[in-house]
Amino acid sequence: MSAANVETLLKEAESLLAEWTTQTNTPEPNRLDIWLEAADVVPAMAALVEARWGYLISITGLDFPKEDKMEAIYHLGSGAAVLGLRAALDRSAPTVASVCHLIPSATLLEREVVEMFGVTFTDTPDTSHLYLPDNWPDDVYPLRKDTKLD
Amino acid sequence: MVMEEDQKKFVIPIGPQHPALKEPAHFELTVDGETVTGATARLGYAHRGIEKAVESKNYTQALYMLERVCGICSHVHATAYAIGVEQLQDVTAPPRAQAIRVLVAEMERIHSHLLWLGVAAHEAGFDTLFMFTWRDRETIMDALEALTGNRVHYSANVIGGVKFDVTPEHVTSILRAVDFLEERTNHYMDIVNNDAVFLQRTRGIGVMPKEKAEILGVTGPTARASGVTRDLRIDAPYSGYDNYTTEMILDDRGDLEARFAVRVRELFEAYRIIREVLDNLPPGDLTARIKRRINEAETVSRIEAPRGELFYFVRSNGSDQPDRVKVRTPTICNMASVLSLAVGHQLADVPMILVGVDPCFSCNDRMIRVKRSGHDHELFTWDQLRRYGIEYYQRKVR
Amino acid sequence: MVHNADSNGNASNLDIPKPWKDAIDQFKTWARLNSPWAVHFNSGSCNGCDIEILATITPRYDVERLGIKLQGSPRHADVMVVTGAVSLQAAERLRRSYEQMPEPKFVVAVGSCALSGGAFQGCYNVVGRVDEVIPVDVYVPGCPPRPEAIIYGIAQLLEKLKTPATPSDDHGGEPE
Repeated sequence: MSAANVETLLKEAESLLAEWTTQTNTPEPNRLDIWLEAADVVPAMAALVEARWGYLISITGLDFPKEDKMEAIYHLGSGAAVLGLRAALDRSAPTVASVCHLIPSATLLEREVVEMFGVTFTDTPDTSHLYLPDNWPDDVYPLRKDTKLD
Repeated sequence: MVMEEDQKKFVIPIGPQHPALKEPAHFELTVDGETVTGATARLGYAHRGIEKAVESKNYTQALYMLERVCGICSHVHATAYAIGVEQLQDVTAPPRAQAIRVLVAEMERIHSHLLWLGVAAHEAGFDTLFMFTWRDRETIMDALEALTGNRVHYSANVIGGVKFDVTPEHVTSILRAVDFLEERTNHYMDIVNNDAVFLQRTRGIGVMPKEKAEILGVTGPTARASGVTRDLRIDAPYSGYDNYTTEMILDDRGDLEARFAVRVRELFEAYRIIREVLDNLPPGDLTARIKRRINEAETVSRIEAPRGELFYFVRSNGSDQPDRVKVRTPTICNMASVLSLAVGHQLADVPMILVGVDPCFSCNDRMIRVKRSGHDHELFTWDQLRRYGIEYYQRKVR
Repeated sequence: MVHNADSNGNASNLDIPKPWKDAIDQFKTWARLNSPWAVHFNSGSCNGCDIEILATITPRYDVERLGIKLQGSPRHADVMVVTGAVSLQAAERLRRSYEQMPEPKFVVAVGSCALSGGAFQGCYNVVGRVDEVIPVDVYVPGCPPRPEAIIYGIAQLLEKLKTPATPSDDHGGEPE
């Protein structure tokens, strides 16, 4: 895929998501990060799905205890272009709506973030453990920075 | 295992565990008669806590750990991570190192596809083909061992490049291995395309429409078998893949037969790429200088693993330890799509459908919970479900 | 036990080291009298060891000609071959599977993870050592050990069984 192609794809994504974008960044030539409010994740994802822009690759949780926030990054790929939809989440009750009604396979991605970070994905179809054992304590989220598991 | 067809009853000898004890089944299937009406996965059997662990290791220690996420595709994990960490500090591995990374990656693809072909054959009851493919696979294992020092977990990568060089003797032995395997692969192609018993288990089964594969994020041979043009070696070349011609291997049928055909054709493509790499090995260093501490940054690294897209997100924080490493394996999305695919199919087709996405080979102890409407849950071991599928089709033939 | 590549960088398994050859010969004798059935248990490994175990039944190694049969149920097994660092989920299943084996029963732990947790020592979801869950008779180190080493480990076990009073002080014995 040529650089021109990547640029076109990213510009297309940027314009599709313009109304919800609070901030953008181009960390690498083939990547665009767009910040939006947690409440806008679903409409933004719906716009991308309807325009058939790429596919959802991953949902990554990040924890910033010092800033008292978490972040959910939705990475989408189209050819060589990678889009990162990023939403800051309130650390005391991190919540964002599920995208499973748009992309059914996202359930496995959301389940992982639920058990590892304690994020609530509203209306996600399955909140049972994906990787952690059944008897894992309820309020212990392994990937939070302040969870010590030595 | 006893099945009384007229009463639609199922009596299953219990697996290793007592039925009353709660069991984390790996797959949960709901069936109505013979038809699957629901499917979900419950993983975690091999969950070790690697993403957490690497946050308290330095970048090099993390490499050894991440390489061992999977014994079958260890090199692509190491490569994805190494490239990510190089990107964090704006370093590129030298051309010769990149070529060697590609060489090992294609050799790994060969071993992985042959392994899968044998396992898939075993699932279908074709143990002779399993034995042939695994015998032939030893040829590439020998070549990998001669080049890298190990049959599994080659540890080819260091951050910044590769650990060893390719000598003229290696070139000769690898080319000889590839010539032999190419001839053998013609035989496999014939079976996959023409063997009547094989086709009974694969033709028209497990069809995944192209649009569905696209939106569900399916990648790799599973996607290409449904006509989806996704191959990172072509779309987003890394490690010098743009120096070589890689053909997009596509099939528009979307069924199990197509998934077999695509992987066998990919074997031929791998042989071709290896010859091209060895014919054009650039001279030069094997490693680039790297820093121990990396400034705050984030990067994304995407690799075409044998099973599809391997995605790494790596974040640095100024220290010598990664802040976050997110690993998204191809199997996660491929598995999710296949679970939705199983609905509407016969229970007997489930083993082949699952194996068709080439999930990481696991043990006999993978458990499947089957809920028949009106009955309690029943527990199958993987082997029981596999045999169920074989017997079902044997009865059909009679 | 390590198989080194020869000076040209080619792995050679035509020159079988004498200890292994001896073990195989003794093993053949034992196997003629006792054909051990083995069951394989993956306690949460990366599958590296498991594919090398599976390789032992394929034509190049063909462990079945030595009388070892790899089959599915612990209830019929003499030997359990365990891989993996024992994930928390697998620990209870491992113990129960072991309990289902009839006496006399033996355990071969294969790979660094099964021995010590390997690369995953200290990870939050692993127990770390098979012998913290069930007793182990033979430890086969490696990441992964090659098929010959796995067969050698089982041969060592069977040799050990022939002379139960003699402590094993060679490669097949417990790590210090």
